[in-house]
This record gives sequence, structure tokens and C-alpha cells, in this order.
Amino acid sequence: MFPMERINSSHYYTFFQSDKERCFYIDLGQKLVRLSFCQLLALRQKVWSINIEDHFDEDANPHGFEIVSLCNREHLFILNTLEVLDLKELLTGAFFLLDIAAQTPSLTSRA
Amino acid sequence: MKDIARQQMSIKVESMDMLNAQIQMEGRASASYLAMASWCDQRGYNQSAGFMYKQAAEEREHMMKIFKFVNDCGGNAISPAIESTNHDFSSLEEVFETALSQEIDVTKSINRIVAAAKKNSDFGVENFLQWFITEQLEEEKTMRDILDLFEIMGRDGIALKLIDERISVE
Ligand SMILES: [Fe+2]
Ligand SMILES: [Fe+2]
Repeated sequence: MFPMERINSSHYYTFFQSDKERCFYIDLGQKLVRLSFCQLLALRQKVWSINIEDHFDEDANPHGFEIVSLCNREHLFILNTLEVLDLKELLTGAFFLLDIAAQTPSLTSRA
Repeated sequence: MKDIARQQMSIKVESMDMLNAQIQMEGRASASYLAMASWCDQRGYNQSAGFMYKQAAEEREHMMKIFKFVNDCGGNAISPAIESTNHDFSSLEEVFETALSQEIDVTKSINRIVAAAKKNSDFGVENFLQWFITEQLEEEKTMRDILDLFEIMGRDGIALKLIDERISVE
């Protein structure tokens, strides 16, 4: 899978691009997951549709966990509230650095 | 580093999100017109029913147009979930009033996407939506013209029948 270039990291996760394979990798700690661009968009959609407010509602989501399936259910992850927020941050940064997001001033470098 | 993401998708992700929301809105409009068609059909307003069936089909076409555009640009078009649709109306006039306010909401939504696309220099999206801007002006006018009929002809039983007969299904 190497060489690949690190695009950005959040607190828990790291996002990579592989020029050679024309795909992306996310190091989710327990596992390194390979994603095509479509799969990356699908993951973003899933993470974005998580209602994080439910995590603070005893009835809606009493334990504050999300089950996220990746790549057409090839992988399953159980994420807690902080991990969901962290993954959101990772993806927001990655999309910005991949130059397909609107130019927001919050992120500037590839560091 | 190669621009792999940019090579795969030619619009901004924010535009994609807004277009997916618009797909949902057009789908909801289609379902809503179908409910109006049912209401009109059940009360013998045959021309109005025909008009609403046609609107329902048109909204679905709008939805498909955007859906296809998002996918053609390399994005991820999301098939919309349509939640409960209102079927209750107190009069034929209220049906058309609801239709007009629904169209105005769509116009506003399209305008918001165009404004955002402009701001993000996402000119392909802006260009794609020009057709919808013209379409919305026409749709609003159609509804407004029908609502004018109630002012001119009144709201009693005979008037409603005459209004219905004037509604064009073409
Ligand atoms: Fe429409
Ligand atoms: Fe419409």
C-alpha cells in the first residue's frame, strides 16, 4: 500500500492518499481502511447524518455509541461520541486539503 | 501529490450537500402534489386533479435532473426519504395556496444554492441551476394566475366548478 502521503490527522485518526492506487486510507487505530473516492463520499455521508445530539439524550442513545459500516459493510466500527466528532473533524480537514471543499479560512496548511 | 479527489469529482462537496437537500425537496414537492391530486380527484375537480398529477410528475423530473447531475459530476446522489405528506385541505383555494407557498420555498432554496455556488466559484453548479431559476419563475406565475381566478370568480360552488374548468392540464 505504500508509498502514501499523509494528508492530515485528527486526535485519534490519520488520513492518507495513495497516488499509485488512486485511493485513500484512514488509520482508525484498530484498523487501516482502504477507501475509493466513492466510498469516501459514502463514509462522509454516514458520519454527517449521525445525530450527535442523541448522544446527550438518555432515551435516544443511552450509551452514546454509533455503529458505522464502511465500504458496503465490509468493515464495522463502533464509535463513541468523541470518536464520532473526531472522525468528522478528520474528514472536514481532509476534504478541504483535497481541494474539493469550499475555501474556508479555518484550515490553511497541510501540516 | 495527485489531485485524485478533484479528478473524481468536479463540484464542491458543499454544493453536493445542498443539491442532495434539493433532491429531497423536489421529491417532497412531488409527493405533496400527488396528495393534492388525490384531494381534487375525490371532490370531482377533474381539471385541477389532472394539473396536480402533472405537477407531481414534473417535480419528479426535477429531482431526477439534479440526481443525475450530482452523479455525473462524480458525487454521491442520495435517494430521498419522504416523510409524512399532508393530505388535508379545507378548500380548493387552499390547495393552490399551498402549492404557491411550496413553489416559493423551492425558489428560495435554489437561490441559496446558486448564491453559495457563486461564492465558492463552483460555476458549473451555478450554470446548471440557471434552468431551475427560469422554471421557478414560471411555476410561481402559474400558481398566482390560478389564485387570481378565485378573486375574480368568487368561491361559491358554481364559481369553483368554473375555476376548475379553466385549469389547464397542458
Ligand atoms: Fe421543482
Ligand atoms: Fe415546481
